[in-house]
Amino acid sequence: MSSAVESGTNAGSVMAQVGDNIIHHVSNSSVDHPLIHLPKIFGIDMSITKHVLMLWIVAVIVSVTVIIPIRRYLRGSKVVPSGMANLIETVIVFIRDTIVRPNVGPRWVNTWSPLIFTLFFFIFFANAIGMIPIFDVLGLADRFVFHTDSHSFLNQLLHGGTTATGNYNVTAGLAFITFFSIMIAGTLAHGFIKHWINLVPHGLAWPVYIILIPIEIIGLFVKPFALTMRLAANMTGGHIALLAILSFMAIFGEMFHSVAAGMGVAIISVPMAAAISGLEIIVILVQAYVFTLLSAVFIGMAINVHH
Amino acid sequence: MENLHYFGAAIGLGMIVIGAGLGISKFTAAAAESIARQPEAADKITGAVNLPLFLLEGVAILAEVFVLLIVLMK
Repeated sequence: MSSAVESGTNAGSVMAQVGDNIIHHVSNSSVDHPLIHLPKIFGIDMSITKHVLMLWIVAVIVSVTVIIPIRRYLRGSKVVPSGMANLIETVIVFIRDTIVRPNVGPRWVNTWSPLIFTLFFFIFFANAIGMIPIFDVLGLADRFVFHTDSHSFLNQLLHGGTTATGNYNVTAGLAFITFFSIMIAGTLAHGFIKHWINLVPHGLAWPVYIILIPIEIIGLFVKPFALTMRLAANMTGGHIALLAILSFMAIFGEMFHSVAAGMGVAIISVPMAAAISGLEIIVILVQAYVFTLLSAVFIGMAINVHH
Repeated sequence: MENLHYFGAAIGLGMIVIGAGLGISKFTAAAAESIARQPEAADKITGAVNLPLFLLEGVAILAEVFVLLIVLMK
């Protein structure tokens, strides 16, 4: 909400600014003012925006959190892992036994498990970082303590939301991985041509195929698209709801032209925002689980074809 | 009259909530009943209900995104 605080005293009423502030707060930093400006390569702007930075931060955190304890366990002499490796093993065994093995089948479990683990851990950490208000605290510190210039790196870091997976481009990238994994899984299991033949069930009357083949081809693209939008919409939706509830204080304060009205609404607004934050924590876990589960189900559908 | 799309978006949103609520409640009722009939199968039933539940929730969220698109882009 620091952006609302900063621009609240400018021209224009609060009501007119609330919508813009909320959208500004959940979306990426603007492409015209990225964090670090890089040149265009083949016409693609390679500048580092906030979501790119958050993707790198999440990648570093996931790598450090998973690789270091596992290496320590592998180098050590204990049979049963302890500490962080124990936690990671619990999650991995759960995912492998309830998500991967029932869908993919025992023959291909070890082939596709690493991909599913990576998807789960990455999406979970990327979602969870969005709930930690590091950059809002930095914004407060910047506004009241540091007073940096308005185009400094710190200030540009504060524009836009930190949930990288709230950006549909990021989740589209993840859905691309699933899309190609489905094709690779079918090719590995059945061969390249048989995989496409398996797209439609066999043994039907030939007029049915005229409708069925376009439907299956459309379904091939709709399934990853649904994965994309489900994750992106869940993440941004939660944040928009949270910000809208917190904006009530400013809106009521302006509607009644008194600060006391705004503070009175805070009695309702802040507990509701806390409740929605609790719901968001559940949604984070669930959405990571659902993306992983659906990827495993689609890969399994390409491997075990039984219509 | 030029703000009619807000009206449509609001009604659409209500219908999405009704649809999702009906679907999820049917799922939950069937799941609870079958777990009551056979408590040993609770894990399997939960696993079987999980997937369609989240697909339905995904449909609701997708529809909400399109409603938001109507509101934001005239």
